Amino acid sequence: MSDPGWAQAPTGSDLAAEMRLAAASLGKPAHDAPSRAVTSDLSVDESLLLHSIGWEAVDVVFGASVVSIPPFVWTWGSGEITAASEAHNLAVRSAAKHLGAQCTEVRGHGVVGVHVEIEVQRHHVDVELTGTAVRPVKGKDTNHPFVSDLSARDFTLLHNAGWGPVGLAFGASFVYAPRRSAGTAMRQSSQNVELTNFTEAMYAAREAGMEHMQRSALDMGAQGIVAVRVSEGPMWFANHAIGFTAWGTAVRLEAQAHQYLSPQVVLPLDDAVVEFDVQSLR
Amino acid sequence: MDDASIDPDATGDDGDLPEAAGRRLGSGSFSSGLTVPDFAACLQMGLAPVALVQGFCVMQWGWYGQGSPYSRGMTPYAFSGPSVPRGVYSESYQCPHGGYSYSNEHRVWGQNYQQPWVESAWAEGFTSSYTRMVEEATEVGAHGIIGVVDTTRHLADMNVTEFHMLGTAVVVRGVAAPSGATPWTTYLAGQRLAKLVEAGYMPVSVVASLASVRVWAYCVTEMLMEGRPLSAYGAGGYLPVAEVEQLSRAHIAARSLAREHVRSQLGHDTLQGAAIVANTQSLAQGDEVIECALRGTRVRRFKDFDPLPAPRPTVRLS
Repeated sequence: MSDPGWAQAPTGSDLAAEMRLAAASLGKPAHDAPSRAVTSDLSVDESLLLHSIGWEAVDVVFGASVVSIPPFVWTWGSGEITAASEAHNLAVRSAAKHLGAQCTEVRGHGVVGVHVEIEVQRHHVDVELTGTAVRPVKGKDTNHPFVSDLSARDFTLLHNAGWGPVGLAFGASFVYAPRRSAGTAMRQSSQNVELTNFTEAMYAAREAGMEHMQRSALDMGAQGIVAVRVSEGPMWFANHAIGFTAWGTAVRLEAQAHQYLSPQVVLPLDDAVVEFDVQSLR
Repeated sequence: MDDASIDPDATGDDGDLPEAAGRRLGSGSFSSGLTVPDFAACLQMGLAPVALVQGFCVMQWGWYGQGSPYSRGMTPYAFSGPSVPRGVYSESYQCPHGGYSYSNEHRVWGQNYQQPWVESAWAEGFTSSYTRMVEEATEVGAHGIIGVVDTTRHLADMNVTEFHMLGTAVVVRGVAAPSGATPWTTYLAGQRLAKLVEAGYMPVSVVASLASVRVWAYCVTEMLMEGRPLSAYGAGGYLPVAEVEQLSRAHIAARSLAREHVRSQLGHDTLQGAAIVANTQSLAQGDEVIECALRGTRVRRFKDFDPLPAPRPTVRLS
């Protein structure tokens, strides 16, 4: 194959030298190999950031739970659908417990970047949690690993600010939207009008869901919750039932006081045409 | 390279590239699947792209059908012969109700078990397409393959799955051509690959595995999942909110098995950038098939870690 000329490209850059060194190393035994293979779903950036604060990835860990919802709970009623809320909260708690147990098994101190997948069906709630167990490079074992849906990047930032995650705070609530009377439904059928029964149901579900979440954080000894996410709306199989779920990472201050990070304001001078310059990595 | 994670002998003899492929690869121009920024980064790293290499394998899924070597006959609990591999994960569940007092349809026994015949068939498809891609790279004297993309898709109306691997074969400038060594492979390219090497890791190969767990629900699982009463006529009431232990354990088992399959390919190396895709096929009465695919790049440390300075938070004015 003809050489288009890049053989004359500068080969003196450190990156090219590193690449040559790396390629030549494959024929040799691994340098400083861990006794047990490490698995991680973190990106290269995240691994580097973790290392910058003295932490390392240990293993990809999983937690899953399927919890049943008794029949007939979705039929029309009033107030909170307690069985569904209980099932949801139990499923998350149980999946987080499985995740924590796997983390302890691999001697991790916590799980970061937890990906939360929840599916609510008529008769069951499925929860799947996946994340990477991490630990301080020279840390001792712990029996109380944290579970956090913060990315490794956010975890690093939190750590540098003197805070630490304690667990996944979660709350869910399902509420019936009360039935309108036949007269009201008839009267409103041709009007542009707020359906206060649905609005009220959403508020009721929101209050109960947020309360569950905050209570779970307090039970873990947290001072607050960061990166809260919410999802709400009617159930696809029962339009008269409103669901509200909220989750985030419960945190507490671990340093003596909050560390102000004083971010530096930068004005990037990126040239839109040059999309990537590897020299900027160094 | 001293070892490859994926069996290079899976497709038989080396050097069985189609003649047209041989002509194309020797045509004198290079081809690459890299984006322009990744291409620029590749050159900066001293990597010269050689060719866009690919591997295909189309597998017919016949493991449950008549005549399939993977078929286990009509009963789910019987194995068709000693050649069919048994899984390492299996657990049984017994009816706690004294099943005779209910109906004949009461499921007095349930089981979760690993389906190694499914896993090995998937691995055969993946490995064959991977090996064919690597073979093309070897043919053009490449040292490695970067930016690997692997896809699997079902061909319409056929019980057939296509495995497709694609990547850019590269040569490391200034390094002697490998003699008989298998090219290294990675899902990474561009700045992500540059950062990996900067961090002291060298990609060894892409690794992937599939774990498959079949759930035959027993009575408790069926009742909980289907909202059924304890007896056909509703006597005995319904079970309350409760964890469906059989399914929870099956879901965790499928993921853990996938991780262990990958770990068995890693030696003392590290799996970087693991991507997990789980698929649950609900059948009926609480029965499920749970499949979990895990893939990532096997990397090896080649130098001491250069610690990064503490990251400095910034606010961009753009």
